Amino acid sequence: MRHLEQELDNLRQDLIKMWRLVITQVTNTGDSILTFDKDLAMQVSMREKKVDAYELKNDSNCENIIALYQPVAIDLRFVLAALKINSNLERIADFAYGISRILIANPSMILDAELITETNLRGMIEQVNKMMYQGLDAFENEKSEFAAAIFSEDYIVDEINNNAPRIIANYIQKNPDRAFECLHLMSTFRKMERIGDHCSNIAEEIFFYIDAKVLKHSPKK
Amino acid sequence: MLIIDAKNVDFYYSDFHALKNINIEVEKNKVIALIGPSGCGKSTFLRLLNRMNDLIDGTRMTGSILVEGENIYAPNVRVDELRKKVGMVFQKPNPFPKTIFENVAYGLRVNGNTDNTFIEERVIESIKSAALWDEVKDKLNKSAFALSGGQQQRLCIARALAISPKVVLMDEPASALDPISTAKIEELIYELKKDYTIVIVTHNMQQASRVSDKTGYFYLGELVEFDDTTKIFTNPKEYSTQNYITGRFG
Repeated sequence: MRHLEQELDNLRQDLIKMWRLVITQVTNTGDSILTFDKDLAMQVSMREKKVDAYELKNDSNCENIIALYQPVAIDLRFVLAALKINSNLERIADFAYGISRILIANPSMILDAELITETNLRGMIEQVNKMMYQGLDAFENEKSEFAAAIFSEDYIVDEINNNAPRIIANYIQKNPDRAFECLHLMSTFRKMERIGDHCSNIAEEIFFYIDAKVLKHSPKK
Repeated sequence: MLIIDAKNVDFYYSDFHALKNINIEVEKNKVIALIGPSGCGKSTFLRLLNRMNDLIDGTRMTGSILVEGENIYAPNVRVDELRKKVGMVFQKPNPFPKTIFENVAYGLRVNGNTDNTFIEERVIESIKSAALWDEVKDKLNKSAFALSGGQQQRLCIARALAISPKVVLMDEPASALDPISTAKIEELIYELKKDYTIVIVTHNMQQASRVSDKTGYFYLGELVEFDDTTKIFTNPKEYSTQNYITGRFG
């Protein structure tokens, strides 16, 4: 293997490791909010620094490869995509951390099971987890068609998120004493929705890397 | 406007089929880079553009090459006239054993020019165009061999420019130079394209991407791909081009 190929492979492996860690963060933070598991939330919180360390390492690797090897064509697209995927993964991890902090800061918080069912929070979390895996699968196998599914999944996430405020507002009217928890639930929806958006961004980068197509700001349906 | 139009060009060194059905259109005031592994035919093609291969025994060409609309391989074409229109700079600086001034004046003199005022003006203008003036203005009567390699190469470019060509061919013009001299040649190419069309053969991929508007990739005598340089270096159409420019070739 040539030197550049070795460097690109190292970058790929580090990015995949970071990706898997971020998937764990999203899965755990979702589980913690659904089961009110403070220990699991604490685990997410503590691992956040590890994600940040990966981000810095990947940034530095991309910078070095560009400076030292001047990659072109598919190699250049790979490094540029890796740089952006890296940043998107870090943002996703930030949102997972944000959700975990809600639980840590409010240890006595319990969400109404009926409200969770009605808003379909579980469905949203599952959907977001699925998107995370689809992105990694597409990247590892260099298959942009795997990434294409993420765009339609994101519409489902958006729909759940759009319905949530009305359901939560109705619930607050009936249960004004639960308004505080409801605000946190709303914030969780927003964060999950943003994770979905970052998954879509990642899918766009996978298309750029593999097919040299720029899908940003264009309709995906 | 097309300044070079090569159509269905095939070229043979005796039995060896060195170029196969090459078609290239070059617009005026553009820089064209020709890249490819050794022996792929890029320098052979470059030398066809001012009939440098005519001097090699056993060579044969079919197809046509038009420069400013005229077939340069037509029977009535005078090669010395063609070379006034299509100048050339070689890999290694090759100044004549003369003064700096006389090196640049040489082309004008052999073309019968005797007007010394005109020659002087043209020499100064050419040395300035080659970005060498500040370095040699006080030593025009010194031997060209006193100059550094990079300066000698710019002197050779000035010599090529003195006879006001339309096209300048460059065969790896910076391969024997240090990075500073290489950068000066590359800057010069960028400046020169305002007035000239340049075709450059280079093994240095970064140089091709830095200086050229269009790039042609040759392999085994075929022009595999010819496209905008940005396209070639970001998303080439052909897998073979990608393998070559990313260094995975072979």
